[in-house]
Amino acid sequence: MAVEVMTVEVAEATAKGLVAIGAGLAVGLTGLATSIAQFSIGAAAVGATAENKDMFGLGLLFTVLPETIVIFGLVVALLLLF
Amino acid sequence: MISASQTGPASYIYAATRMRVRKSKLLAREDYIRLLNMGLPEITRFIEETEYKAEIDELAVSFSGIDLIEIGLSWNLANEYQRVLKILPGVMKTFARSYLSHWDIFNVLTILRGKSQGVKTGKIKEILIPAGTINVVTLDRLLAEDSPERIVENLSSWILHPVLEREFAAAQESGSYAGMENELYKAFYRYVLKQTVSGIKGGKPFREYLQLEIDLTNIKTVIRLYQGGVREDVRDLMIEGGNFSVDELVRLAGSESIEEIMEGVKKYYPSGPVANLMEVGGDGEFALHEMENALTQVMLDKMDRISKRYPFSICSTMVYLKRKRYEVANLRAIARGKESGLSGEQIQGYLVM
Repeated sequence: MAVEVMTVEVAEATAKGLVAIGAGLAVGLTGLATSIAQFSIGAAAVGATAENKDMFGLGLLFTVLPETIVIFGLVVALLLLF
Repeated sequence: MISASQTGPASYIYAATRMRVRKSKLLAREDYIRLLNMGLPEITRFIEETEYKAEIDELAVSFSGIDLIEIGLSWNLANEYQRVLKILPGVMKTFARSYLSHWDIFNVLTILRGKSQGVKTGKIKEILIPAGTINVVTLDRLLAEDSPERIVENLSSWILHPVLEREFAAAQESGSYAGMENELYKAFYRYVLKQTVSGIKGGKPFREYLQLEIDLTNIKTVIRLYQGGVREDVRDLMIEGGNFSVDELVRLAGSESIEEIMEGVKKYYPSGPVANLMEVGGDGEFALHEMENALTQVMLDKMDRISKRYPFSICSTMVYLKRKRYEVANLRAIARGKESGLSGEQIQGYLVM
């Protein structure tokens, strides 16, 4: 039975892979969280704008607020990768 | 698949937001106080500057004075309800339509009564409020019919047609539609109660509200019967589905004093606004109409509370529909009261604010 020995190269490659997975999860999960937050705010914003056109700007602003979550995820991913 | 996607959470949020915006445009208590200090022309002008503008402008050519206000308000109510139904998606629309079908009962009975008393078609049409599930075209078709039998036949697709058909012969025989009206309203409440368990979001709290509405309607009936000295044959006047059983209501209606009725009600509502009202009512501090208005106010407050507790459910829509109905009723009461020369304080006693 052959014994697998982890060389430095293998360890480095594994670490890089794990970092990439971490970065992907950071962006992916925060993206999901943003979408969950945005769907309800978006629906309410569309409803409010349909009743009062002046609400468009404010509605849009509220809808994009959860984008900050995914931006945090992106920043973490970039910090992990570079 | 379509109906499932139409009634997802986003649809409820969208519809509830729109209804909340509309509700915020309804007249506030301060507006009513201002209106109470105005004369009829000023009231007309005030109404014209609000959400009722389109209808008042449209009808100003044909009507004037109190008729203009009254018909303008009715038209606005009907148009607004139809607009709300257009906004609502999927099961929300079905549910709202089922609740609005009480306007159908009003319209059908108005037509039947008008026709049997030989009132002119145009005059009947002025009174109709096409806010329910029977649209204007169908109502026009019904108005064109001369015999009540043909009117009933034409309503074969109406959800309450089986009840109408069953009760119609007896109503024709007795010459009064009152018994049939009672049966139709009972069937209406049974139908709406059934709809609350159809999977609609907010159905359970709305069912609780509906039970309160049935209870309070029954209490109003019991108090009216007591005040009118009626002690017999009251069973048929009570609506089933509330917290009170019909037997209990019949027993209450046979009470010897108003205090006994109030005590009977307090057994089911030992605390809260209903109990407080019964306390005050038992002391004889309220006139009948004031008591009725206070009970209506309790219903509306309950509706407001559940719509805040379940903001993204059908409750937000239902509270708007209810509030809008009472706004129209209040404006009508103010206009009619002013025309009859009543004072502001007297009219205020008839308002639900």
